[in-house]
Amino acid sequence: MTKKIKETSNSETVVKTEEGKTLDQTVSALSSDAALFNREITQFNVEAETKKQRTATIVKNIFVYTFLTLCAIAAFLPFYWMIISSFKTEAEYRESIPTFFPRTFQWKNYSVVLSQTGAGASFGRILLNTLVVGLLSTTLGLIVIIITAYALARINFKGKNFLFALMLATMMIPGEMYTITNYITVSKWQWNDTFTILIVPFLVSVYYIYLLRNNFMQIPNSLYQAAKVDGLSDMGYLIKVMIPLTAPTLVSISLLKFIGTWNSYIWPRLVNIPDWRMISNWVTSGFTDSAGILGGSTSEALNTLKMAAVCMVSLPLFLLFIFCRKYIMHGVSKSGTKG
Amino acid sequence: MPDKKDTLPQNDVNDVAGVEENVSNDAPQQPQAVKPSLAQKTKQAFADLGKKIKGVFVKDQVALIRDAGNTVITAEMLAGPQLSRKEKFSRFLHSQSGWLFVLPAVLLMCIFTFYPIINAFVGSFKQNYQATTGRFDGFGFENFVRVLKGDTGTGGATFLQCLVNTLVFTLVSVPLSTLIALLISVALNSIKPLQKAYQTVLFLPYLTNSLAMGAVFATFFTIIGTKSNPETPGLVNLALQAFGIAPIDWMGIGSPTWELGAISIPWAKYIVVIVYEVWSGLPFKILILFSALQSVNKQYYDAAKIDGASRSTILWKITAPMISPMISYLLITGIMGGMKQYSAIVGLFGEQMGIDYDMGTMVGYIYRYIEDGYTGYAFAGSLMLFAIIMVITAISNRISKKRVTY
Repeated sequence: MTKKIKETSNSETVVKTEEGKTLDQTVSALSSDAALFNREITQFNVEAETKKQRTATIVKNIFVYTFLTLCAIAAFLPFYWMIISSFKTEAEYRESIPTFFPRTFQWKNYSVVLSQTGAGASFGRILLNTLVVGLLSTTLGLIVIIITAYALARINFKGKNFLFALMLATMMIPGEMYTITNYITVSKWQWNDTFTILIVPFLVSVYYIYLLRNNFMQIPNSLYQAAKVDGLSDMGYLIKVMIPLTAPTLVSISLLKFIGTWNSYIWPRLVNIPDWRMISNWVTSGFTDSAGILGGSTSEALNTLKMAAVCMVSLPLFLLFIFCRKYIMHGVSKSGTKG
Repeated sequence: MPDKKDTLPQNDVNDVAGVEENVSNDAPQQPQAVKPSLAQKTKQAFADLGKKIKGVFVKDQVALIRDAGNTVITAEMLAGPQLSRKEKFSRFLHSQSGWLFVLPAVLLMCIFTFYPIINAFVGSFKQNYQATTGRFDGFGFENFVRVLKGDTGTGGATFLQCLVNTLVFTLVSVPLSTLIALLISVALNSIKPLQKAYQTVLFLPYLTNSLAMGAVFATFFTIIGTKSNPETPGLVNLALQAFGIAPIDWMGIGSPTWELGAISIPWAKYIVVIVYEVWSGLPFKILILFSALQSVNKQYYDAAKIDGASRSTILWKITAPMISPMISYLLITGIMGGMKQYSAIVGLFGEQMGIDYDMGTMVGYIYRYIEDGYTGYAFAGSLMLFAIIMVITAISNRISKKRVTY
């Protein structure tokens, strides 16, 4: 007991010396622990430690920002290079030390590319093809997707679950496996000169049906019953209630379907209808200045022309991404694939 | 039985009373004082009919029955409506009207999905199959043997070479881009000012046409002019020159290659593909990982800081395990997508996929044989691609089950 009191008095002296005044006996007894704690803190140099931490944070921030800036440059460089190259003259493009801003800025590359007919059709025609095929396959595909998803989500019929399971199972199979037979099928049907060949085989997309069905399922059943009481038919319910409620998903699906057409390359190349080339097939063709407008080689494929073509193909995607980012990400973040 | 069914209680009190009478007629004579209640009588009546009911309770002289599923129904609902055969059939048709809605999709899938899958399995065993005429010389394993041996008589990259190419592209670029994406997302997550700006720029390559961007990347690596006297060695070689490294012919005929027996490893070309794949794969991975990071509970970091954990310890012991489900999701989907890559290679190396398909991928192999009219080889190749994807899926599922810590 006495020992403890002694200790307390010891600590009391410390407190006294530190603060320069005597503390009340009871308070010092109560705050003896706190006082001990205080003594420890005073040995710990707070200022030096905060300084150390602050420098560590600054070093970390410099490191993080440098890293992010480098990554951002790497992400942006191909776009920048593509844009500036499309404005350069071929001679400037081939200089051994590349210029990072075109010395002679010219739009000529674009006019040469636009007047090309090398890939079998002009750019205007190919753009029109892509837009027509894209809009038609998006609209028709959306109708098929909506009614199928609706039936799978709301209507009960025999074999529904089996059908749905079968549809989902096909998602595991690589598309190449059926492309072969589809190619044989359409050539047997003599579809060789019509654009339906580019649309019909891709109207059904199981993944979008699955996505939309899940969205439809989230709409409470009581809404359906209320609509029935009000005398709405199944079709009326779909059009007046379900479609407006799932509009964001429908917008995502339409955008992704359209982007899919814009980027489709394999099938159009395989079926190879001269009048119905698509934009991705056009961009892989070699662009030459056959009319001699640029004053260089007229037979060699020129990189500046190619870059101008690439810019024109990328720009719509770019704009779409900037204006519809939310919808595109909504659709893509669930599928893990692009387009 | 049928006459009893007719006397089943209908929807009003009087008819329930009818049951009462019915039951009392069948039941042995009871003394007046212990006359069974309406509930007991209803129970008895249904037991006689052989229908299972769980309980009965009476409200306003109407017997409500609890059926096996615990739903409260009236007696009429349990008995069901009396329908003629014709009515029953039309009701059945009506209940199956869902098929009408799915009909377009089912028809299209039958023609363009289900039939082709079956056809691929059958067709891969048809020997010397001619797609245009439909002629073939019996069934056998010849297609598979020739594809695996590389004995297709057409030259160009063999299936094995294409498999090696695809595996190298995928197994290097997918983990690499996931790792870089993780570092970038962690860095993005740790800053406040300019976060949105960096995010936007890093997401820019998200939506691109792989053929177009492949062509842009090709210009980075292409040497214009001859190797000894280049007009311009390309951006990458110029950057390497700054470090004193001699220009490398990344894309051309003289591209450095290791020969390993039947397969060759054109490592310089591989690097070109991997650089492109990492670049184009990053935005999606950053998007997923960044949103995963933002949902991690901040308390874990506070606790780690109090315990004095270093930044790298926090990254590898807390952050990575917390978002490991997303990492494994990205790895699996990335590998699955990588096994099917095609158009990026065409964008980089042109329609011949390098020199005589030497940069061919498995999908490229299949398309090449479709175009050349060797449909049997294409079928066999597509079936093997399917098998390989299944194996990889099974392996990755097993690994992710073991390794995903949370």
